[in-house]
Amino acid sequence: MNQAIVVQDLGKRFRRYRKDRPFTLQEAVVSGFGRLQPVDWFWALREISFTVPRGEVLGVIGANGAGKSTLLGLIGGIGRPEEGRLEVHGRVGGLLELGAGFHPDLTGRENVIVNGIICGLTRREVDRRFAEIVTFAELEEAINDPLRTYSTGMRMRLGFSIAAHTEPEILLVDEVLAVGDIAFQQKCLDRIRQYQKRGCTIVIVSHNTTQIREFCDRVIWLQAGRIQACNGPALVVNQYEQAMQQKRTTKP
Amino acid sequence: MNSVLHRKNLFYLRDLLQELIVRDMKLRYRRSVLGLAWSLLNPLAELLVLTFVFTYVLPLNIPKFPVFLYTGLLAWNWFRASLNSGANAIVTNRSLIRLPGFPIPILPVVTTTSYFVHFVLSLPILVLFLILYKVPLSAAVIALPFVMAVQFLFIISLVYFLAAIQVTFRDTQYLLNIVLMLGFYLSPVFYDVNRIPAELLPIYNLNPMVHIIGAYRAIFLDGTFPVIGPLLIISGISAILLWLGYTFFMRASFQFAQEL
Repeated sequence: MNQAIVVQDLGKRFRRYRKDRPFTLQEAVVSGFGRLQPVDWFWALREISFTVPRGEVLGVIGANGAGKSTLLGLIGGIGRPEEGRLEVHGRVGGLLELGAGFHPDLTGRENVIVNGIICGLTRREVDRRFAEIVTFAELEEAINDPLRTYSTGMRMRLGFSIAAHTEPEILLVDEVLAVGDIAFQQKCLDRIRQYQKRGCTIVIVSHNTTQIREFCDRVIWLQAGRIQACNGPALVVNQYEQAMQQKRTTKP
Repeated sequence: MNSVLHRKNLFYLRDLLQELIVRDMKLRYRRSVLGLAWSLLNPLAELLVLTFVFTYVLPLNIPKFPVFLYTGLLAWNWFRASLNSGANAIVTNRSLIRLPGFPIPILPVVTTTSYFVHFVLSLPILVLFLILYKVPLSAAVIALPFVMAVQFLFIISLVYFLAAIQVTFRDTQYLLNIVLMLGFYLSPVFYDVNRIPAELLPIYNLNPMVHIIGAYRAIFLDGTFPVIGPLLIISGISAILLWLGYTFFMRASFQFAQEL
């Protein structure tokens, strides 16, 4: 199988509720149960079709609310599409929810172990990579302190470092290349490049068109849940930037 | 190839279960001076008050009442605590639900097992009580793992339903609180089943905890093997409930991420 991800006519629908939808039974009784029903459905994604061959880096761009993160989530197995087909071949790892399961009262060390396992490593794999994870996050000094004593940047670095050491076959990246200071960001990009060289399939969602241009083999431009363009990075990014420029000038 | 992956998967799930339970237990008492001892002190405090009330205020005249009561309390607390926090197993773990590839159905198992560990940790104290009251342990103890397995199965089958419903219907937790409060009085935790009028027994016996608590008492206090019939029926019904609950849970799980 040479396709890592196959998406065909994919559609994902969300409910939209009335703004006075009752939240509790008491409110429902008072205002009538009719208001519990969703007013309408809106398609966050519709008629999405593309394939990602093994080892390709696919970029996804688009305005806020275009469905980028929803698409990434679906590929990661979060939620289920209402329409179409979605096949994912390979172990999926994500730089989506960094530091899932982190707890401020646990030490850095304890958090690395729990989070590493939550991210899909076995206990032995975590132990083997522990030193590397801590070194990468540059937290050798603080690793035995409770997480609550860490700065936001330190937490993000630790979360990124764990996720980046899980060696997935398909890597999902959602706008997290903004972790830490510039030096650390560079390190993150290098890490993703390493994955790329090793033949890992990568899907990147980003607003940073420079990074997209630099990294991706192909780019999808999503607009209001549909594919506006899908082509080489230079072409699509140009189109996208022109469209954004236009929007800015027409709507002051 | 396939079998290797499968095995890795099982090892992985075991590690995940273990670490999540350890995390649970560490967090529950981290930054408290007495730590894990609290999980033992709680039932002991309950024991003290109930023993006082039902020995001096409203005497029930049950021989070796503290041992009798402690057995019931341990079984009931495992049940109550697992259901209470099991109902919140999904709601309180938003970040895990949103993680690609995370096996969501493990969460109800984590809460149930974590309170099972508390139950097991309390057993030495129960044995201490038995020695204190000169109740000999008999060979019936070998039936203990079976009774614990039945209770585990019963609890987990309910937790799958509760955890999934709580996501969209947050009243679940409050309803559950009421049901559990009533359940405490409708189960023979501090009184003996023989106080129930014969004509009410058929209804009273529909409560599975009646038989589960009874089984523990048979083992520890009477030194006899528990009556097997009701336990087998409970296992059977729980197995069906577990299958239904698990199916329901898996269907609902696709909505979890967008409901949290």
